[in-house]
Amino acid sequence: MMEARRDVFQAIADPTRREIINLVSQESMNLNAIADRFDMTRQAVSLHIKILQECGLIMINQQGRERFCEAKLTQLKEISDWVDQYRQFWQQNFDSLDKYLQKIQSTNKSTGKPTKKSTTQSPNKSKRNKNGK
Amino acid sequence: MESKHPTSEAPELLITRVFDAPKQLVFNAFAEAEALSQWWGPPGVPITVVQLDFRPKGSFLYKATMQGQTAHGKFVYGQISKYDLLEFTSSFSDEAGRTIRAPFSQQFPLEIFNRLEFSELNGKTTITMKGYPVNASEAETQFYTAMKNGMQQGFAGTFAQLDHYLSKLL
Repeated sequence: MMEARRDVFQAIADPTRREIINLVSQESMNLNAIADRFDMTRQAVSLHIKILQECGLIMINQQGRERFCEAKLTQLKEISDWVDQYRQFWQQNFDSLDKYLQKIQSTNKSTGKPTKKSTTQSPNKSKRNKNGK
Repeated sequence: MESKHPTSEAPELLITRVFDAPKQLVFNAFAEAEALSQWWGPPGVPITVVQLDFRPKGSFLYKATMQGQTAHGKFVYGQISKYDLLEFTSSFSDEAGRTIRAPFSQQFPLEIFNRLEFSELNGKTTITMKGYPVNASEAETQFYTAMKNGMQQGFAGTFAQLDHYLSKLL
């Protein structure tokens, strides 16, 4: 059997699990109270909670005879964190694209040639211009 | 131009950037190995293009070495419409080009879908770039946004807890 990788994106791929996180992010709730909110068996709800727990999105605390589910905010924060990291990565790459474009355009200008490639030219069968620079 | 969108419809990531160059030139910077090797990659780290097959379903593989460690990156192209549109799914990969998880985080999406639109006005080109995790449906995307906004508004005690966590992370 393949190893089932638990990741946060997989965890929240299911609408019931998203609803569970929504509920417990407002207040800690015990398992029975959560199960009462859904039109499915307690076992089914427990399974969703187990997956969420394995992904680190919720934590279960035993309090006396009851088990309370609590949302783990760091994990939720990390879900949105990738956006910030990725945005920064692209901004930096766009900065270097900008420099690259300036560089090649100033090269074109200094050689006094209009952009070679984009000008339409009649097909040249024998000679392939490899732009030998 | 105003780049604010209603949160419920916003993609995970939206970046708009204007370049002082015609769009053929800007687009070609994404299409040619020689160009990519001069500007793409982790900031300040030169990349080596391993493979570039710039067409739908083709892929781009590159490697970057920093602090003695080599990381590989991969794009798999989706729609390509010359000078106007470019789509690709980006991920980290192993040497053989197989998709792997980001080395720095388990929570970083395995694959990210990127859509870039190029438009030219008065010799300047605007790239509108959208990105979101491949496995996320629209409902999930809205979910993160809602969670994020919820956290920003702060549910009484939990916000302080988040703050505390963040201060530890920084």
